[in-house]
Amino acid sequence: MNTATGAPDPQTIVQAADLSRRYGEGEAAVDALAGVSVGFPGGRFAAIMGPSGSGKSTLMHILAGLDRPTSGVVRVGGVDLTDLSDQDLTQLRRDRIGFIFQTFNLLPVLDARENILLPLSIAGKKPDGEWFDLLIDTVGIRDRLSHRPAEMSGGQQQRVAVARALISRPTVVFADEPSGNLDSKASNDVLELLRHAVDDFGQTVVMVTHDAHAASFADRLLVLADGRIVHDGDAVTSEQALDLMKSVG
Amino acid sequence: MLPLVLRGFMQRKVRVVLTAIAIALGVALMAGTYILTDTINKSFASIFSVANRGNDVVISPTQNLGRETRSQTSPITDQMLAKVRATPGVSEAAGSIFTPGTFLDVHGKRLTNGGAPAFVASESPKRFESFKPVQGHLPLGPDEVAIDEQTAKRHTLKLGQQMIVAGSAPAKRYTIVGITRFGGGESFGGAGAAILTPTEAQRVVGLPGHFDQIEVAAESNPAHPVSANELRGRIRAALPATVDVRTGAQQAAKDTSDLESNLGFLRTFLLVFAYVALVVGAFIIFNTFSITVAQRTREFGLLRTLGASRRQIMQSVVYEGLLLGVVGAVLGLLGGLVLAPALNELFKAFGAELPHNGTVVETRTIVVSLLVGTVVTLLAGLPPALRATRVPPLAAMREGVEIPPRVLSARGLIVRLAIVLVIAVLLAALIGGSVAVSVVFAALWVGRLFARYRRGARPRRYRVVPALARGIGALVSWRGITGQLARENSIRQPGRTIITAAALTVGLALVAFVAVLADGTKATINQAVSRSFAGNLIVENSQSGNNEQGIPAVVAPALRRVPGVAGVAPIAFTEGRLKGSSSNVRITAIEPSTFGQVYRVEWKKGSNATLLGLGKDGTILTKSYADSKHLKVGQTISVLTPTDKHIALTVRGIASDNARLLGDLTITLPLAREAFGQRDDALNFVAYSQGASNAQVQPAVNRLLAASFPQTRSRTAAQFKQDQASQINTLLALIYVLLALSVIVSLFGIVNTLILSIYERTRELGMLRAIGTSRRQIRQMIRYESVITALIGGVFGLVIGVVGALLVTTLALSDSGYVQSIPVGTLAILLVVAALAGLLAAQLPARRAARLDMLQALASE
Repeated sequence: MNTATGAPDPQTIVQAADLSRRYGEGEAAVDALAGVSVGFPGGRFAAIMGPSGSGKSTLMHILAGLDRPTSGVVRVGGVDLTDLSDQDLTQLRRDRIGFIFQTFNLLPVLDARENILLPLSIAGKKPDGEWFDLLIDTVGIRDRLSHRPAEMSGGQQQRVAVARALISRPTVVFADEPSGNLDSKASNDVLELLRHAVDDFGQTVVMVTHDAHAASFADRLLVLADGRIVHDGDAVTSEQALDLMKSVG
Repeated sequence: MLPLVLRGFMQRKVRVVLTAIAIALGVALMAGTYILTDTINKSFASIFSVANRGNDVVISPTQNLGRETRSQTSPITDQMLAKVRATPGVSEAAGSIFTPGTFLDVHGKRLTNGGAPAFVASESPKRFESFKPVQGHLPLGPDEVAIDEQTAKRHTLKLGQQMIVAGSAPAKRYTIVGITRFGGGESFGGAGAAILTPTEAQRVVGLPGHFDQIEVAAESNPAHPVSANELRGRIRAALPATVDVRTGAQQAAKDTSDLESNLGFLRTFLLVFAYVALVVGAFIIFNTFSITVAQRTREFGLLRTLGASRRQIMQSVVYEGLLLGVVGAVLGLLGGLVLAPALNELFKAFGAELPHNGTVVETRTIVVSLLVGTVVTLLAGLPPALRATRVPPLAAMREGVEIPPRVLSARGLIVRLAIVLVIAVLLAALIGGSVAVSVVFAALWVGRLFARYRRGARPRRYRVVPALARGIGALVSWRGITGQLARENSIRQPGRTIITAAALTVGLALVAFVAVLADGTKATINQAVSRSFAGNLIVENSQSGNNEQGIPAVVAPALRRVPGVAGVAPIAFTEGRLKGSSSNVRITAIEPSTFGQVYRVEWKKGSNATLLGLGKDGTILTKSYADSKHLKVGQTISVLTPTDKHIALTVRGIASDNARLLGDLTITLPLAREAFGQRDDALNFVAYSQGASNAQVQPAVNRLLAASFPQTRSRTAAQFKQDQASQINTLLALIYVLLALSVIVSLFGIVNTLILSIYERTRELGMLRAIGTSRRQIRQMIRYESVITALIGGVFGLVIGVVGALLVTTLALSDSGYVQSIPVGTLAILLVVAALAGLLAAQLPARRAARLDMLQALASE
């Protein structure tokens, strides 16, 4: 659980076996996932790519326990999510999972500091002052702590969101198109941050994206098409990623 | 979660205030009612304690038929007073008169004090006297009067002027020799008091040798001290059972508690309207919370992904409800302080003035107001809070995730049905007459639940609302695109539209219900009078609706001497109690020889000849009473009279009477005078002789009445109907004013919903502006939308109200000859009022919508 020691965790943090997910019934049924098995080792940065409708979002939702597979098993940190109650899933989210969203999803009524500390307030935990200081310096928003989201740029908001995802030192951070709503400069900043979190804090990150440039920041690239994994390999450049996408798209 | 809730709360001030007002108005009416009635009670309690201050022991007539009923002939006599004076330990005893009477100026105009009663009082020895002269002195001779300060001020009466006091004897002029003040306070609870010498007072009220009360002071000799209680015991032993003997303190307590029970009706009456307003407020809270929960789906989803449990989500909404409830309840309590005097003014305007010295805020008022306000808000917010817990975490990821409706299990359905049933029953109990309303709502709910049960997770549909909105919308769509858009917008979220409209529906349904009932009552009276009254004139006390004062018995013989009058039938009302019963029966007393000429009795058993054979031991029953007690002609019943006599009456006839002139029992006037102590009449029916015209006779009658009995007046049948109708209209107006509060509450609901839906549609409005819609058109669109919603509420309300009233009257009143009548004009006006109300409610939201910055609106998410 404590992955901030700097040492890469050799264990597989997130493990999925033979996942399938079907939406709808009868003739209108759509298979978003058709037998996906994949493992994510600790301290690595994985990118999942794929064209629209490839099932990449569904895969992430299931891995994060937001959606349930029609069949198959997901384990996060050794815990089988299949039969977890809503309460246990809630606990899992508090302890082990961090989220970063495309649309930042900060609460407009709270300032930056409060937004970052929100997961801890919800869980009723005390913040670790040193960790908080380290995080805000890392994401570089110390001078914005008392600002509301409406008073910040998109890049700043997403950096606050990254800090929020890391504050509880989760086992794994899921990022859903984290750079999708940002200009290229801000986009680079946020992706650098994720890279930094993996390299320096030993954080495990799973990112869904359709942006080849974003994928080039990862250690590993998965490509999905029609609900199956069609590519699983080490880091690539954005050009290579783009070619891969063209081959499946 | 609490800090987050607080933060959100502070940022939505306008909505918080608007929503809080929805509950605050109901609480205000509730608190105002308590404050007003407590203040009145307290004022009277202090009046009674002053009135009994000098009295160690008080002797008053026994009220064997309950505290509402009093014999017109007091059993307290001169002989009794002599006995009291002879009791050891009594230092002083005096008899007093305190009976309702009528004051008039020398021109015969009533010196009224709002609707407050006026009393003829007798001057008492100094230690018992509660009235102190502030000018002049108390009366010394039979032609002198002292009048209370308030009446004097109101009608600028001065010492030396003359006034008329009318009671059971023909009216007489008195010279004002004193202006008095009660106890130190200015008024005797708003009532007027004319103080005469004891003998003159007895003559005016028609009771020479009798008193209403005897006041006793104990010997203050320190050698033989006697306590009030001890003295009470001695006097009790010396007097018959027809009187009650109490210590001064006991008497004050009894007077106070009698009054409180009388005021209890007023309190209940007002509280009903407070509860109606609260129910309407609850609808609005429910709706507002439902909308905000739907709008915050994404936020709840986010909180869930960040690790918030369902419980925490629920708590956050519940906390919000709690905060809102507290704010609303506190606002309401403060509003109650303002509303209490306003309510008093309202009653004054409708002719009922009650004393209110200071403002009494009991702990109970604070506790109940805060509790009810908070709990109602909390409960109304609970279903949306539960709904919020069903937001999936996935909602944080996607736009437009719907909250999944819950598929109900059979057990869940039963539990829900039970809850709905209980709520419906509670509503019915609270709103009383509007049983129909809640039944219809319960039916709506149940229908919805069944639909959900059968179809599982399908979104619910209200077919009626779109249909209605389309129909009503057709009225505005001729106004072009804005009208069409408005129509579509109100169909877009039918559930929301119906709840918003429902708030207005409750108020309007009650208004329509009452209007239909009142119209039917008027029609019933008209029909009954036309059918039953066979005379030409009705003589009554000119303060109609005043049951305390009838007309003197000497009026009838005087009327008989007026040229053109063929017959006069005096009628009196009294009460009695059947042996073994704990409630009173209404008794009408008639004169057998004249009654048949002026009144058409619908005989079931017997004929007008039965009247002549009634005698002093016979009675006629109404059919409904005979049926309910299974009584038949020939049976004998034993009746307890207000003067504590038991008399045996044989049933001689049975008649039905839609005019309700005949009480449960009808007896002869001589029997009523003898055994029931009834001295005054209530009505005199006058029949003209053949060929006499109303133009000749009525003025002659009026001249006689004005000269000798200025407290009476004559009415033709048409005038009488008119009087009855205007009395009903007065009550109706009062009820409308009180229900208006609920309608106002529902307007806040419309404002709230519109503001929220505009917020939701920011983008869309920006787009409309971008493609060339003018601000004016946007405003128009919102106004039409509001009018459509209001009219849906109005149509539902009128239908429910009318159907409910017809149903209730058919079920409960069909036997009693109730004539149903629908006031089409009034209902049409109500619909127009609803539309105007919708227009009014749209003002603020429409301006807000038109003010939206186009670019920002488009950029907003």
